[in-house]
Amino acid sequence: MIRNLRRTSQGLFLLIFLFLFIQTESKGADELGYPVRIFLECDPLLALSTFLSSHRIANGFLLSVILVVVTIALGRVFCGWICPFGTLHTMTGTLKKPSKKRSHTNWHKIKYYILFFVLSSSVFTAQLSGIVDPLSLLIRSLTLGIYPAVNYLTRALFDTVYATGIPGIVEVSEFFFTLAKKSILSFHQTYYVQAAGIGLLFIILLSLNFYERRFWCKYLCPLGAFLGILSRFAVLKRSVSEGCTSCGVCERICTGGAVVDESGTWKISECLYCMDCDDLCPHRAIRFGFTTNMGAVPMNLERRHLIASVFAGALAVPLLRIPPLSRTGVFTPTLIRPPGALEEREFITRCIRCGECMKVCITNGLQPTLFEAGLEGVWSPVLVPTIGYCEYHCTLCGQVCPTGAIQKLTLPQKETTKIGVAIIDTSRCLTYAYATPCIVCEEVCPTPEKAIWFERVKTTDREGNTIVMKQPHVDLHRCIGCGTCETHCPVKSKPAIYVISTGETRSQDNRALFS
Amino acid sequence: MNRRDFLKISLFTGLGVLMTGTLDFLANNLTASNLIDIAVAQGKTPSTITAAAIDALGGIGHFISKNDVVVVKPNIGWDRRPEYAANTNPEVVATLVTLCYEAGAKKVKVFDHTVNDPRRCYTQSGIAEAAEAAGANVHYIDKRKFKKVKIDGRVLKEWPLYTEALEADKIINAPIAKTHGLATLTMGMKNWMGIMGGWRGRIHQRLDESLVDIATAVKPTLVVLDAVRVLSANGPQGGRLQDVKRLNTVVAGTDQVAIDALGAAFFGIEGRDLGYVRIGHETGLGTMDLSRLRIKKIKI
Repeated sequence: MIRNLRRTSQGLFLLIFLFLFIQTESKGADELGYPVRIFLECDPLLALSTFLSSHRIANGFLLSVILVVVTIALGRVFCGWICPFGTLHTMTGTLKKPSKKRSHTNWHKIKYYILFFVLSSSVFTAQLSGIVDPLSLLIRSLTLGIYPAVNYLTRALFDTVYATGIPGIVEVSEFFFTLAKKSILSFHQTYYVQAAGIGLLFIILLSLNFYERRFWCKYLCPLGAFLGILSRFAVLKRSVSEGCTSCGVCERICTGGAVVDESGTWKISECLYCMDCDDLCPHRAIRFGFTTNMGAVPMNLERRHLIASVFAGALAVPLLRIPPLSRTGVFTPTLIRPPGALEEREFITRCIRCGECMKVCITNGLQPTLFEAGLEGVWSPVLVPTIGYCEYHCTLCGQVCPTGAIQKLTLPQKETTKIGVAIIDTSRCLTYAYATPCIVCEEVCPTPEKAIWFERVKTTDREGNTIVMKQPHVDLHRCIGCGTCETHCPVKSKPAIYVISTGETRSQDNRALFS
Repeated sequence: MNRRDFLKISLFTGLGVLMTGTLDFLANNLTASNLIDIAVAQGKTPSTITAAAIDALGGIGHFISKNDVVVVKPNIGWDRRPEYAANTNPEVVATLVTLCYEAGAKKVKVFDHTVNDPRRCYTQSGIAEAAEAAGANVHYIDKRKFKKVKIDGRVLKEWPLYTEALEADKIINAPIAKTHGLATLTMGMKNWMGIMGGWRGRIHQRLDESLVDIATAVKPTLVVLDAVRVLSANGPQGGRLQDVKRLNTVVAGTDQVAIDALGAAFFGIEGRDLGYVRIGHETGLGTMDLSRLRIKKIKI
């Protein structure tokens, strides 16, 4: 039964995907050791849009040529057999009884309009594909919302048992907890801003399967649309023999909504190649095979609607670009980008918002922006030192970025790349304003030639006694803006030492110092 | 032989056996803590000098008993490789683990509450690999195992401490000697911050007294100070090889204050220059007057 083969394939690729997702995490070594971004690199929509918007293509994206060739030859087998997001939709869809009604044929066009919108804006250098691309969306949603939630729930359950302290039960529970930690749980619980919203959006998209199976794949997925266009002349085709009695079973069960009427007219660009009709036809009249017969009907897209999407995509770009951020030399102090990030304008044309960097960030410091980078930069990564600092010897974000928006740095490069600079507010630093010893910042500063030095200053306390206070100073030349000082400053709610983006190596203009 | 001869032979044999047993007993309990307080071993191989220092104190069997659950508490605080002298020498740690097992310990645990990411610290320091190879149970800190402990110190009344450290039968402190911005030097007493939970940075505000309070609460079986390499500037993290000095020394003893006082000499200062040593001496936690201690120097 070819359906079972397909299901096995879907399951296998989903497992591989989830395995690589879970491996996108530090184990303590310098290199990650797994090809965690391989799914993204096979994605031709991301490859094309990144190329259009930044006029560069990262080496890894050569893998997407494989998927293009496969689709041209075999049709949308990726959607039916490989795509992990598609598999999740298939699995959710099994909870819904197959409907007796036909699907909404008109809605198939929407995904093409989305595709053309996104490609059009890419031509005008706005990189929006990652927001709607299924693989990018899946990784981002799992990273920011679903996986942290699963972790939280699992840990809460085990912690509750642990807290009871009942001898035999705790041992058994801890045994399974250790197993879970070794296999599926993250090293530590991660927290992200907007987690609830992104998680909820993901759940809503999956819930659409209760309305119609594979709703996203049929009506919304721009990658599906792209592959649909490529599949126009595929040689792997669906053929109907003379045994067909026009009973309409295939039409009802068609996952992609590709079989459009009782006569079995088949839209090849909508077919997900799930092969259900091959297995389930009561008269065994349907066969998927290699043939050069032109039995397929093309997707009927109204030209004016397409042109409208193209125009909309193009017009979106200037609308996104009118805020002053990084266009007129205005810089946001809190927009601290990961080390290795390109200069902001180029960064924004390449970042696909996949969330890989946020997943791998060893301290959980990389968070998704909302509007801090402008609307165009939504969900791109920003370092928030109060949540996590940039670990001095860690280069993982550059290792996982598929587009090169964050360049992979060597260790010597990483140690000298500045992402900002630390500023001390002496009105709330304990040693300046409150005659209280501290200098935790000096202790945690990782630069070998300390970027924080202390000065011994004679001062008086409230009773009038003279005391010698060690007061910290930042060396602007040596500070790399990693934020570990801010993370560890005892003035917890409003750190007395904090990082601003000025001084970042990647920017020619956002700097205070002459040299 | 007649009965008298038999009785004579038996009596002398019995006395002989008794005497060797007594001598043995006396040897174990007199040579050790009563004869040597601190052993300072110098030599090229960290494992050899660690073993030699402990031997000079009477051997590991004097400190670790059969079926003990032992915690070896090294400094794994920083994401630095061994040559940067920010964490305890992995060979020293591994040797301590091996010795404990030789003394019949049931389980030897190695852990530290790191400052940088624990995965990087454990891996880059080389300590996880070396200790595991020696058979230790190396695990990351489990935040659930911090419990508030009443300390009743001068400034610390209570603080979350790691229960696995407190519940062990024996705990061996295995620090490395380094400079430190606020504390001037960090050695054994400061190393106990690695079993503290919560926001430890706050104790910087009453650092010397807090360290004495914690050290008093812990009561280590043995302190083994790693001075194979010391960080002579820009500590406690370092990061420049030129700040590392190779002293090829290991110091072992049971008096926390005295060990730190002796370690101060490696940096050209005295124990009384360190606030926590001075206060530890005043409160009776230990003594900083090295002249009153029996210190044995071994060169290999």
